Amino acid sequence: MSELLTIRPRNLGSVAAVDPQPAQRGAGEPDDQEVGRLFAAGEEEGLALAYERWAGQVHGMAVRAFGPGPDAEDVTQQTFVSAWTGRGGYRPEKGPLPAWLVGVARHKIADTWARRDRQRRETEAAVSDMQAAPSGPVTAGVDTEIADRFLVLDELDLLGQPQRGIIELAFFEDLTHAQIAARTGLPLGTVKSHIRRTLERLRTRLEVDGAALHA
Amino acid sequence: MQHCTPEQLALAALREPLPAEDTAHLAACDRCRAEVRSLQRSVDAVAVPQFAATGAPVAPPPRVWESIAAATGVAATPRPAAVEVAHPVAEESAPPSRDADVLPFRSRRRPVLLVAAALVAGVVVGAGAVAVLQSRDDGQEITAVALDPLPDNDASGRAEVVARDDGSRVVEVELDAPALDDEYYELWLIDRDVVGMVPLGVVRPGTQTVELPADLDLGEFPLVDVSVEPLDGDPTHSGVSVARGELDT
Repeated sequence: MSELLTIRPRNLGSVAAVDPQPAQRGAGEPDDQEVGRLFAAGEEEGLALAYERWAGQVHGMAVRAFGPGPDAEDVTQQTFVSAWTGRGGYRPEKGPLPAWLVGVARHKIADTWARRDRQRRETEAAVSDMQAAPSGPVTAGVDTEIADRFLVLDELDLLGQPQRGIIELAFFEDLTHAQIAARTGLPLGTVKSHIRRTLERLRTRLEVDGAALHA
Repeated sequence: MQHCTPEQLALAALREPLPAEDTAHLAACDRCRAEVRSLQRSVDAVAVPQFAATGAPVAPPPRVWESIAAATGVAATPRPAAVEVAHPVAEESAPPSRDADVLPFRSRRRPVLLVAAALVAGVVVGAGAVAVLQSRDDGQEITAVALDPLPDNDASGRAEVVARDDGSRVVEVELDAPALDDEYYELWLIDRDVVGMVPLGVVRPGTQTVELPADLDLGEFPLVDVSVEPLDGDPTHSGVSVARGELDT
């Protein structure tokens, strides 16, 4: 059915965007908002519908991160499983479900990167153990960038709207502040000051928790 | 010398191009640079292209749902055809090698090319065009566009073309730009060859509504341009453009 062909990545932004075409779906098909509501309410149909509509988007991200195969499939699976079991953390009034799912997917991708990194270190350490005198514990050096990434993703989850949507458009869709204003319909000055305050907030989080990690 | 505003420093941390004055200041000021660097740490932490959600969708194989159903005990099932049909894109878009893990990036935000000189050279900017349609109380929005600063300028904004109920059309312009002395801003619609120009009148920082000539073909004049005009009585474009966007008509 043609209504299923409407892929609207724009919907993935978590700001209530200036959205021209409400979902064109056949009679009896719940709109995206209704899917979000079903999902949040724990209706199983909500999970199935969310998968129909957004598994391709999530899996696309996973495949771009890991190539097609088991790692990408794990990321997609874990994204939907943990979104479902953690659905209590999703608030339909704070943003569309697909944006939230994409946020969960970013966490899963970051987890998988970190796990690979750890495995690589362990392998390297094992090799050097065999070759030379014992060195420090393998777990000593959590890579700063990986740690920062977790902290930033975590802090983004704590942001309200429209701050979260604005910074996500800047970070992940690489829009300029003028484009974000156009996309969201918010005044330029508002966008600029949200960007500044959010970057300052993220900096504080990294300075406080990031420093603690490396102490 | 005056420091950059905190807002400009935040935009610099996102690697947006700054106006010339700020760029020059930044090059010379350790304090402002240190501020940008400290704000940039979070930007760099997540600046990986794999985190973008707008790439091509890829339909997951059926076993992915089977594992989800097994893990959650959910009995409802997505219609496989819906998953496939909704996301028909093949895996050709799936590149990276297994070692490619994390690739820091940040170059998709293209600085807008084009200066006054390009007006003569006939260069056209396509960046920053965002078209939307929206119903409004006071009419039907036809299209809207972000006005991005041209290099070395601090002006940006947004223009919306609105069809009013009586059939007339207006441009609502929101301009974020410094106040001028002995000069003024003027709004233009310009054709793709940057030869034909329709002056729409004086604008100022802030929000205002400008009437469009009836029957003007926006497809023919898609560039929305803001210029700085001297008070010299010359009605033609000064050649000094500060912000621009291209209407998607």
